Amino acid sequence: MRRILLETQGEVSPVCSKSHITYKFHISEPGGKLCIHFAYGPKNLEDRELSKTLVYESIEKYIEPSRRELVQAKWESYLPLKNLITVSVDDPDSHRGAGHRHDPEQLLHLSMKDASPGLISGPIHSGMWEVTLSLHAVVTDQCKFSLNIWQEEE
Amino acid sequence: MKWIACELHSHTFHSDGRQTLHELAAGAKALGFDCIALTDHNTMTGLMDKETVQDETGITIISGMEWTTFYGHMATIGVKEFVDWRPVGPGDIHAGLKRVHASGGIAGMAHPFRMGSPICTGCFWEFKIEDWNDLDYIEVWSGTFPSIKSDNARAFQLWTDKLNEGYRIAATSGRDWHVQSTTDEPVSVTYLSLEEGDAQATEKAVRAVAAGRASVTIGPLLTMDIVCGGSAYGIGSIISREALEFGCSVNLFADFSVRQGLWELTDQTYSLRVVGNTGIIHECSITRENSYCQFEMNGIEAIWARAELWGIVRGVHVLIAFTNAVYFD
Ligand SMILES: [Zn+2]
Ligand SMILES: [Zn+2]
Repeated sequence: MRRILLETQGEVSPVCSKSHITYKFHISEPGGKLCIHFAYGPKNLEDRELSKTLVYESIEKYIEPSRRELVQAKWESYLPLKNLITVSVDDPDSHRGAGHRHDPEQLLHLSMKDASPGLISGPIHSGMWEVTLSLHAVVTDQCKFSLNIWQEEE
Repeated sequence: MKWIACELHSHTFHSDGRQTLHELAAGAKALGFDCIALTDHNTMTGLMDKETVQDETGITIISGMEWTTFYGHMATIGVKEFVDWRPVGPGDIHAGLKRVHASGGIAGMAHPFRMGSPICTGCFWEFKIEDWNDLDYIEVWSGTFPSIKSDNARAFQLWTDKLNEGYRIAATSGRDWHVQSTTDEPVSVTYLSLEEGDAQATEKAVRAVAAGRASVTIGPLLTMDIVCGGSAYGIGSIISREALEFGCSVNLFADFSVRQGLWELTDQTYSLRVVGNTGIIHECSITRENSYCQFEMNGIEAIWARAELWGIVRGVHVLIAFTNAVYFD
């Protein structure tokens, strides 16, 4: 039996970079397995001109003046620029880990018995849980995401 | 004191690495390391099998986590539990550092000058540091063959600048090891000098980093011992002006016997220097066969000094090894 806890879609844009979106939801029946499906896209910025502009901005910001030309010459080695959104989980009492990786689609779970790499196994308590999306970088004009959270028998 | 070979920056598949803790530890063992710090991005679940892997491989595993934030990557080691990075904004790193320290850990800037967002998100250090005393170390060498990389040269210079300003801050290397793949580039080692006593090896290693009892190298282990009026001072020590008045003898040694067969340097005459904020304090030439250097130091203007070993690696004149600083107070 699958108990749906949260189903949502959203869209973020480059100004959302370096922000978090936290969803708080209620688990009324403790136990079982908590499942999280998260997907976002596009992953890569395909626009070459925009990519070049962004790489040049980074060079300006992060590279010493004396080396800038050298690095500009190999600007394409930094392509493709990518969106990166990661997921972390908190139960009513404590932190339950994070999946800091680059896959644009992830099916994560946690239960008493085990958990996906990065997440912490343990009791699925009743109460208010949180799933946080950390938007490390959004480089495409828009980036759509979907987040589905449910509970099922272990 | 005993020196142990450490790799202080590594990842597993619990974040974006492509290796298990066992594969990582076995790989470290094969490269002659005694100790690793697991510093996965924003999670500590990779440490679940820590005890078993330690027993199976004989590698000491330090608990850590790389704060993979929007404004910088901060390596934290020795932490007992997860310390939340998410509430921290670009002006709040001291609040974060306080929580890391409260959890028994220490913190260092990881690859502070690597290209930042969006190319490598948060990789360039942008946190505002109000008080450098709060930061325990700087990872001045990142990746393999670190001494030729310009990002590392900037990090090394940052460390030197802070020493010149009077801060006592440690310097380390870290491969930022994500996968078991062979490299023909020189691998860097952070040697830590552990104190005697009953504390756990991991705890001793963390305390060694915090105290700057560290020597970094892509080849021989470089040590510097200073004897003033009968008292001996190692790397990381503070030597008082009174002690200096006795006159001191400085003993430098490059131990070419470490990690036998696991690194290679062409035979040559190396330049071994002691440098401080006042410039080069002493310089001598050494070879593999004759790798000691000793000199008397009477009256010193400098506020810190470190040893550096320079030579030719792959046709390039580079820094091969450096010690952390000793301080004169
Ligand atoms: Zn990093
Ligand atoms: Zn890393």
